[in-house]
Amino acid sequence: MKLAQQYNRANIFTSLMILLLSGGVYYFAIHYILTSKLDNDLNIEEQEIIGYAKRYNKLPFPGDFKNQKITYQLQKKGTAEERHYTSTRYFNNDQKHTEPGRSLITGVHVAGKDYIVNISKSSLESEDLFRLIFMITLGVLILLLLSLLLINRFVLSHLWSSFYEMLKQLKMFNVADNLELSAPPTQIDEFQELNQAVLAMAKRARQDYTELKNFTDNASHEMMTPLAVINSKLDTLIQTGALSDRQGELIADVYLAVSRISRLNQSLLLMAKIENNLIKDEENVELSELISQKINQFSELLQSNSIFVEQHLTRKELYINKYLADILLNNLISNAIRHNKLNGVITVQLSDTGLIISNTGLNKALDENRVFERFYKNASSEGSGLGLAISSQIAMLYRLQLKYGYDSGKHVFSIEF
Amino acid sequence: MKILLIEDEQALRESISAYFTEEGSICETAADYASAIAKINLYQYDCVVLDLTLPGGDGMDILRKLKELNKKDGVLIISARHSLDDKLSGLNLGADDYLVKPFHLSELKARVAAIIRRKSFNGNNLILFHEISIDGLAMSTTVGQNAVNLTRKEYDLLIYFIANQNKVITKGALAEHIWGDEIDLSDHFDFIYTHIKNLRKKLMEAGCHDYIKSMYGVGYKFCAQ
Repeated sequence: MKLAQQYNRANIFTSLMILLLSGGVYYFAIHYILTSKLDNDLNIEEQEIIGYAKRYNKLPFPGDFKNQKITYQLQKKGTAEERHYTSTRYFNNDQKHTEPGRSLITGVHVAGKDYIVNISKSSLESEDLFRLIFMITLGVLILLLLSLLLINRFVLSHLWSSFYEMLKQLKMFNVADNLELSAPPTQIDEFQELNQAVLAMAKRARQDYTELKNFTDNASHEMMTPLAVINSKLDTLIQTGALSDRQGELIADVYLAVSRISRLNQSLLLMAKIENNLIKDEENVELSELISQKINQFSELLQSNSIFVEQHLTRKELYINKYLADILLNNLISNAIRHNKLNGVITVQLSDTGLIISNTGLNKALDENRVFERFYKNASSEGSGLGLAISSQIAMLYRLQLKYGYDSGKHVFSIEF
Repeated sequence: MKILLIEDEQALRESISAYFTEEGSICETAADYASAIAKINLYQYDCVVLDLTLPGGDGMDILRKLKELNKKDGVLIISARHSLDDKLSGLNLGADDYLVKPFHLSELKARVAAIIRRKSFNGNNLILFHEISIDGLAMSTTVGQNAVNLTRKEYDLLIYFIANQNKVITKGALAEHIWGDEIDLSDHFDFIYTHIKNLRKKLMEAGCHDYIKSMYGVGYKFCAQ
């Protein structure tokens, strides 16, 4: 929920409560005042009747005028009518309809007889007044709500606009591109401070990124150059001629070791790059074609081990860096070959929902929790132990999950799209 | 052929220039940016082998300078940076090829030879070695008058051998050239043996001399003697 929305909710709720409460207080206060005014009028009328009765020892004529009615009734013996006010209906003779009214019922002793006197007054006017006050309160309430909504809509969204602008830029922020963040103009201190902090952070992130990139480049260069020297010296050494087979063997071993170090070095640098998200240039890569190519590339290796490849490929595009897609497939397929057995089978299944590569091999499951760890490998494996770690990292980079499972003699690696 | 090698690492410079220097070929060297610029200004080369990280400047600037001067020299970038950005920007700037360190000298030689061939034989891309003649455009091979039907890999091997004639080429270099470096075939050199055996057989059946010699178990040498 947006901050403004949340704030509004609290705001509107409290305003509503206070308004309703004050409406209630108003109601009772005005009701009380109006009623006591009516009661006061009735009281005066009663005094007049009592005064009249005392002076002339008879009751004045029952009257019906000026929205006021007076009636008398002989009180039965033994009963005593207590003096009290009551709200009643009042029949308006002029307009022939009943109205709300207020009565005072009291007793008067005239000429040795007890009479019940009922003085009624129409309270229509006060009811009208009351209604008016209620309407005004309601009007104010609606006006207040409307103005709150308008304030929220225009003023608040205007106040927050610079915040949302900054947020939009932050979402698009990428250390690898050179788009500079620009602080949207704002008069609000908090937002100005936020903008400054964000700009400073972005600058620092870019700087770190550049340093890291340079470090990766430099590390690669520093290690690859001596390796290149070793390789070129070996290439030169074998041109010198007249080497014995024993010397040749030794040189071949050194070649192998050098090629392994440079592979290892390249793998480590690649991992660093993936980890630091230094690889960009994603495109839509059609996987089935790439897989067929890969399997074709490995055809000799497959033939020599009499490994049969079963392919069930449907077209599937993935938004991914092509180089990484290539490495991922390369690692998975070459593993499936390398760790297979003579006359083994590899099944490659590509569908809209995922890629599953399974192969026959050792009749024993690998350690599911450690198989993607760096340098985890079988004692018999000649790989660097980085292939699956790299594959899993590539998958993670694109929010895919590479999983391992073992199912009745088959090692299954699967990626869900 | 005339080659300019721009490389700051002395040991590497010496090995490469020794490998390239032979009868009919000259390999000049430059160890830093300034001397490289001076040389490309003064002379014309068939191919410039360019290291990107140099003391005194960026190798990319040398490439830009070459294009500015409208030179027709072929350019092969050798770099320790295995970065796609560099590769793409290098090729976009007009480099002909890009090779990542560490590499085999035979691979470098084959690539340089390919660049020079593309540059110099205008549409008439012929490779000759004694009785062997290869038409690089039609990808056809003949020995004397006899056509030899080679597979793609055998064809690639033959061109690689001729580019590196009289040199010992390791099995590893051959494997990397034929299968690329993605596939680690270091423990499967039998494939190389099979392909070479087939190539040799096809050439000899067409009446070719046996030029391919196995050397100390390390590799092969393609030579006329």
